[in-house]
Amino acid sequence: MQYPSTLDRDGLIELATKKYFGNVDAKNMEAILDCFHDTALFTVQTDHLTHEGKDGIRAMFETFLGSYETIVHQDFTCTVDEKNGRIAASFEAVLTDADGAVTRLYNTNFWRVRGDRFQEVYVYMSGANVLV
Amino acid sequence: MNNPYPYYVDIVTKRYFDGVDNKRMDQVLDCFHPDAVLHEMTSDTKHDGIDAIRTMFEGLFSTNGRIWHGNFVHTVDPEDNAVCSQFTVEIEPNELGEELIYQNCNRFYLKGDKFQNVYVYMSGDNLLK
Repeated sequence: MQYPSTLDRDGLIELATKKYFGNVDAKNMEAILDCFHDTALFTVQTDHLTHEGKDGIRAMFETFLGSYETIVHQDFTCTVDEKNGRIAASFEAVLTDADGAVTRLYNTNFWRVRGDRFQEVYVYMSGANVLV
Repeated sequence: MNNPYPYYVDIVTKRYFDGVDNKRMDQVLDCFHPDAVLHEMTSDTKHDGIDAIRTMFEGLFSTNGRIWHGNFVHTVDPEDNAVCSQFTVEIEPNELGEELIYQNCNRFYLKGDKFQNVYVYMSGDNLLK
């Protein structure tokens, strides 16, 4: 689907890496959800799983944020299609649980932006799905 | 490259995946630099250099019947010489006798007019061995 975006290149990078992942790592649920439209779709393509709407996305993040003591997303490489409101990024996710076990993933996300928020998000993971 | 945006879309769809779907090895390899690297991320399998990439495609072409890539959505960034593509793959492994459907993505990083680094994520078992 093609959406009109109001964000320029820097705005798309800011939304994906700072407003979104910065708040995921800080476990700020409301700030995370503020990045999404109410009707957003969040799909983990490598697990054939879609979380529908803000309520579905909230439930997913409640599980995810509660499963790890620390969550770090880092080393972003962004690909920005400003005229179409799309951004992709590869990154490393370092997830540490309460027992100190560390999960490292080298993932790629695709975001389709409508206005100034996410309408569709697609996640491709290098390992088992952690966004259930 | 006068207008890089359509160039990036065309090398991915009209040259690379057209070559893959029609099993035209020379057309496929012409998209890569000799020292290009193709990395399948979901199984952490790396094919380093055009000879290794050729060997990988020889395996893909010989072990599968029909191969089709479509339903593309591209994220094109001429400023960073990159295009990231989401797409559907329909493929018929010879030994399976029925079609598999994948929802994959590739990240292509170009140097000049050819691929230097390609990263592949698959929604099922790795086909690029």
